[in-house]
Amino acid sequence: MEHGDSLIHLMTKLVFQLSIIIIAAKLFGFLVSRYLKQSSVLGEIVAGMIIGPFALGSIPLAMFGGESLFIIPHGAAIPIMPELEGFATVASIVLLFLSGLETDLKTFLRFAGVGALVGLGGVIVSFFLGAGSAILFIPGVSHWMEPKALFMGIIATATSVGITARILSEQRELSSPEGVTILSAAVLDDVIGIILLAIVVGLTKTGSSGGVEWSLVGSIALKAVGFWLGSTVIGIVLAPRLTKRLKRLKDLDALAMISLGLALLLAGFSEKAGLAMIIGAYVMGLALSSTDVAEDIRHRLEGLYNFIVPIFFCVMGMMVDFAVMRKVLGYGLLYAALGVAGKLVGAGGFSLFGGFNLRGAYRIGAGMLPRGEVTLIMASLGLSTGVLDSGLFGVAVIAMFISSLVAPPVLLRAFKGGSGYKGEMAEGGDSELKSIGFEMPSEALAGFVLTRLLEAFREADFFPRRLDHQNPVYTLQKDAVHITLYLDGANITCNVPPAQESFVRLLLTEEILSLKELFRSVEKVAESDSVERNIIGNLFESNEQND
Amino acid sequence: MNLKKILTLDSVKVGLTGSTKQEIIEELIDIIVANGRNLSRDVLLKAVMEREKQMSTGMNNGIAIPHGKTDVVTDLHVVIGVSQKPVDFASLDKKPARIFIMTISPKSQTGPHLQFLAEVSRLLGKDEVCRKILEAKSSGDILKIFLEGRA
Repeated sequence: MEHGDSLIHLMTKLVFQLSIIIIAAKLFGFLVSRYLKQSSVLGEIVAGMIIGPFALGSIPLAMFGGESLFIIPHGAAIPIMPELEGFATVASIVLLFLSGLETDLKTFLRFAGVGALVGLGGVIVSFFLGAGSAILFIPGVSHWMEPKALFMGIIATATSVGITARILSEQRELSSPEGVTILSAAVLDDVIGIILLAIVVGLTKTGSSGGVEWSLVGSIALKAVGFWLGSTVIGIVLAPRLTKRLKRLKDLDALAMISLGLALLLAGFSEKAGLAMIIGAYVMGLALSSTDVAEDIRHRLEGLYNFIVPIFFCVMGMMVDFAVMRKVLGYGLLYAALGVAGKLVGAGGFSLFGGFNLRGAYRIGAGMLPRGEVTLIMASLGLSTGVLDSGLFGVAVIAMFISSLVAPPVLLRAFKGGSGYKGEMAEGGDSELKSIGFEMPSEALAGFVLTRLLEAFREADFFPRRLDHQNPVYTLQKDAVHITLYLDGANITCNVPPAQESFVRLLLTEEILSLKELFRSVEKVAESDSVERNIIGNLFESNEQND
Repeated sequence: MNLKKILTLDSVKVGLTGSTKQEIIEELIDIIVANGRNLSRDVLLKAVMEREKQMSTGMNNGIAIPHGKTDVVTDLHVVIGVSQKPVDFASLDKKPARIFIMTISPKSQTGPHLQFLAEVSRLLGKDEVCRKILEAKSSGDILKIFLEGRA
């Protein structure tokens, strides 16, 4: 019976922890995005810092028999209960699955030339700056092949273009040469980052220490790339058949959940194969990204995302140890600055070879600056495997914060002024976009019309893809043609290349006309009250006769 | 979109004789019915007129694009017609129309139909092209303008 009691005690505590985490994360996320106009993610992390085991969470409470709410387990690498860590692990799988799912492989391949150059440049320079800084400033690290140096290197490579995509679409620069290059470079950046992570985790697990055994590195790299490439290719080939079968269920919710189940499955297998779980999750997402149900899966996982991802960011904040953080603040700031420099020099610099001038290079570098969940997942992986200590984890958090704060204003300023591209962009990439906008009487109606428009574009063989979780910003893509569609309050705006303008105007007109037809039928319901009469009619009917 | 695959000599007509919007539309539908296989004139007419009821397809500069969606067709049907005398088409700019582009498409496939109209309207946006079309003497001349105008 005692085991049962302690289990109940443990679960009760978990429930209290989750409750505080969710409420604090949502509250701080809201405050930060509403009043500081920053990403709500930053608010969620700060919430974690405040309620975590190194701050308020350490206060002993009588209700837990003098224990604090967030106790640090003895001898554990991570200062939170394993039960809670489980939630964060599932969240990281959800995040990476969605990240893979949102990958735009077609655009990437279309603009692969310059995009690959820029992505590769950003990764290489950032990696060596990150790893190099570890050798210079972390005591006991003397070679860049040591696990600590490797981890600080790959953490520096991660880019999260969600923020960039939102800003560029607001500035109508998403389809500019710079915008397209950033988006395709970010795909490569993710892929290389994930492969590097696979290699580094493999190396760490086999316990390489300093001395470089190139045969070992080679075999691990081969295995990592092999697993990644193999499962991605198999996934991309099998995914359309799988979704075709699953579509027969006629239940897109079931399809979305089964997809998530498969992501968890592949995550487990990739851990078993000696790689990290998130790699499998990302690969599963990538495999499904080019199927026609990708957007539907994403849409149906939104509820789960809203629940579990703030928990993830909050838990990341909870792992920040302020006492240790103070000691590494100097290195943290330097590391953050090197991260910025790595992207500007690497991604920006390499774009000079792709036809951009200095102004364009600066824009591309700035667009690659923001860091997000991948940085934190990599850092927490380092922490849980014992490679990184809490100080170095703090350094990664500092880097993520600074890049997220610095990127938006830098990006806004960078995109002022003339063209950043030397030549004329090929068809479909015109920087002179036409904007078609119209206003609806209410936000609710605009949202409804937007979903109808997305459906209409889909019928016209465009692939809609949502760029930002928080704001309704979509790119619609068909071969090399990019159209952005977004909702701002009750306004619907569509940015199109001039060659597609008449097509989009025709499509919008036809769709609005068919919507009006629909509204007229709604009016018929509104004019007569027979429907509600039928529904409410017998409410006060005398039921004496029935007795 | 490759106009060559869609436009043929049979789908272009000069010298439409109708003098009202209704007559022009019926004349164009007759051409589509003649070119197609087992197409019901009534169903096509109904589809086009229903769309006209929502909003007239008379555009600017004497161009009209009457179109309809119906599942009696399995792919895109088009006809281009030119009339010597201007016909009132309740156009956006209130001017009568002389160039008519009609499309009939299946309900579920709006892509090709819009793509075709977009392609054609890009050409007709040039005054030079419109002038040439109005001056053309034969279907062959018009077909040539559309197919060459693309390049």
